[in-house]
Amino acid sequence: MRRIVLWFLATLATVVLLFGYRTSTSSTMPSTVAVAAPAAAAAPSTGTPSAGTPAAGTTTVTGTTASTRWGPVQVQLTVAGKKITAVDVVQYPNGNGRDQEINSYAIPTLVQETLSAQSANIDMVSGATVTSDGYLTSLQSALDKAGIA
Amino acid sequence: MQPVPATHRAGPARTPDRGVRLGATTALGAALALVTWWWATGGGLGDLGGWESGLTSTGRLTGLLASVLLLAQVILMARLPLLEGAFGQDRLAQVHRLVGFTSFTLMIAHIGLIVWGYAAGDLLKAPGETWDLTVDYPGMLLAVAGTFCLVMVVVTSIRAARVRLRYESWHLLHLYAYLGVGLALPHQLWTGQEFLSSTARTVFWWTLWAAAAGSVLVWRVALPLWRSARHHVRVTSVVSEGDGCVSVYLTGRDLDALQARAGQFFTWRFLAGTGWTRGHPYSLSAAPDGRSLRITVKDLGDGSAALRGVRPGTRVLVEGPFGRLSERVRTRGKVALIGAGVGVTPLRALAEELEQHRPGEVVLLHRFTDQPLFARELDTLARERGLTVVPLPGRRRAPDSWLGDGIGRVDDLTALRARVPDIAERDVYVCGPEVWTGLVRRTLTAAGVPDGSIHTETFGW
Amino acid sequence: MGMPVSLALRGRHADDTAAWEQVLAELRHVDAVFSTYRPESVISRLGRGEITEDECPPEVHEVLALARRAERASGGAFSAWRDGALDPSGVVKGWAVERAAAPLSALADTDFCLSAGGDMVCRGLEQPWRIGIEDPHDHTRVLATLDVRVGAVATSGTSRRGQHIADARTGRPPTAVASVTVVAGRLTWADIDATAAYAQGADAAAWLGHRVGRTGLVVWADGSTTTVGGTAP
Repeated sequence: MRRIVLWFLATLATVVLLFGYRTSTSSTMPSTVAVAAPAAAAAPSTGTPSAGTPAAGTTTVTGTTASTRWGPVQVQLTVAGKKITAVDVVQYPNGNGRDQEINSYAIPTLVQETLSAQSANIDMVSGATVTSDGYLTSLQSALDKAGIA
Repeated sequence: MQPVPATHRAGPARTPDRGVRLGATTALGAALALVTWWWATGGGLGDLGGWESGLTSTGRLTGLLASVLLLAQVILMARLPLLEGAFGQDRLAQVHRLVGFTSFTLMIAHIGLIVWGYAAGDLLKAPGETWDLTVDYPGMLLAVAGTFCLVMVVVTSIRAARVRLRYESWHLLHLYAYLGVGLALPHQLWTGQEFLSSTARTVFWWTLWAAAAGSVLVWRVALPLWRSARHHVRVTSVVSEGDGCVSVYLTGRDLDALQARAGQFFTWRFLAGTGWTRGHPYSLSAAPDGRSLRITVKDLGDGSAALRGVRPGTRVLVEGPFGRLSERVRTRGKVALIGAGVGVTPLRALAEELEQHRPGEVVLLHRFTDQPLFARELDTLARERGLTVVPLPGRRRAPDSWLGDGIGRVDDLTALRARVPDIAERDVYVCGPEVWTGLVRRTLTAAGVPDGSIHTETFGW
Repeated sequence: MGMPVSLALRGRHADDTAAWEQVLAELRHVDAVFSTYRPESVISRLGRGEITEDECPPEVHEVLALARRAERASGGAFSAWRDGALDPSGVVKGWAVERAAAPLSALADTDFCLSAGGDMVCRGLEQPWRIGIEDPHDHTRVLATLDVRVGAVATSGTSRRGQHIADARTGRPPTAVASVTVVAGRLTWADIDATAAYAQGADAAAWLGHRVGRTGLVVWADGSTTTVGGTAP
């Protein structure tokens, strides 16, 4: 009898401890990556996109929700005559934790004040002026110098 | 011993039973097919094109199938009267082993394939990936703990381990299966995507989980407790039957509401000291008369020996009645009862309750080593009800024979035919140790008894 | 091509100079084949009609096929054949950097970020790379940041030397947009989309929004911004 009580208490204690771990009560992964846009499973954009508002004679078709590996995806097509002129994704999948890690199409976050590259903790700079002429005075060169030093 | 009033309507309930079995099997098959179809239409088939995505896709499928099977297993083992009655103990044990083995294999495959797939198809990265999965993904630590529980359950159920464990210990360890299945739920919700990706899936999975949890709570916990409280079953006396056997007489309120039939068994928990932790399956050894119950137990070891010392007045927790070895499965007018040692217990009850209109309609072949159990009572039954008793005394004469050495040189089949010439026209109820019962069945089939007329029960858990 | 190349490595092979040499070698090779500033490059000779397309190395076929797809996808705003001259530079840059990054992928347990002229390919499995988007009106200022684990970032804008991006439909350079930054899985397409979006002028953000799987930032001539892409939870 005592053995049974000991087993039971040990099991109870273990289960309580397990539930105390962070992943046991939270449904989201503790990563900083923004939620992904679909990779291969969603419909690729086709045809020529229209400029501006849909012209008269266009219809918008919302597809059924498709179940993909990453979760549900729903796509909306704008059709003019017989051509698909625009594709919008109205329901993005959450992805399972795995794919959030791999498909990381992050959304740019605007910075509030003027920041130099170092204080924003940036690794690389993307910009149109990173050219040979502009390089010497560019942020990227400052970063590269800092990297070397 | 008073004659039992024929309050039970004799008649087979076999066709509904077969229907229930068919229905249960179909339901399980349909669930597995549905889950597979959802996987296929959700991109599972398409993913098979690539190595890495193929691994994870197959891993997901095995996980889904294992989940359905594990939940089905829980429902199967929840002691639902519908399933118990339709399948019977032996079939249920077979189904339990089959479903258990399959679900376990699928679960292991699921784990292996997912880890391998997540490691980008590179086996060398698998250990690292396993670690990542366990500590970072939602609900995965719990799922890993659940896996350990299920592995332990399966390992302790392998024959080599079973024989080293006491029945009670093995049974308590087996209960960890519930914990194992339960701990898998969070990771299905949070890391797998199946639950939430469509309304139909959500409904399906939650219904399955609810049915499993509900079955256990109602039929394994609530109902026995309520029944025991209502019927207030207590021990009235303990009598030695000789040859190491002991009969325990019990009484209670409204016992006829239990609807027990001769040939069935209950799981008994004697609430004396630490006895409540041990549930023993014992058959009724006398036909239930609505006022009292009797079990007869051979002193086989720890648990059973304790019964000798049970005091009158001890309260008992009962679960049941279970078992198909009863009037329910009778198909013919003539019956043969074949029992060995303490296996003759339910047959003794059947001999008392089975309807017989002419002497010789019910024949009992009683296999024993030294002293026949219930000698005096069987004698009374022979005189008052026309039961024919055929003793088969002596030590087992050979490993492949079910008869004793008092028989002589003839083989089993001839010996049987000599004693019961019309065996092929009878319903045969067999109860005894597993191997012995198998030998009897073999001889019966050779004698021309159809499979549907052979009813066996062994306590080979 | 005259653009500065930066490479950041993190992890086990962080000091691998051989990888750096491989990257540079590949970029030089691409330059030799595709540079429109070298009269002896394959592309220049093809443009002048001295050789036919069949005689060109396979990389040229690949690039020209990409250029045709880009022209269709952008609705003609981007075109490699403009004013009768062959100039696939809008496609070549992203494609070249993607090729050059290939040997870096082979470095085990190493994260890399290869940037050439402001367009980059990243792999940051251990830790994401933080990319800053330059303010096209003030080159010393960072306008936005984003974290990229596995993907590519390309920016197209007014000061891009040698691009002469013009809206192929109007023939004139677009004026409403200052720069477009696009994040995608592959740099080839990030580059094409950035160029094509930029060429759409005022429709840049709307056009980019229709491109499934892209996120990005449009900086307008007046300094305001539009963030594109993201999830509808």
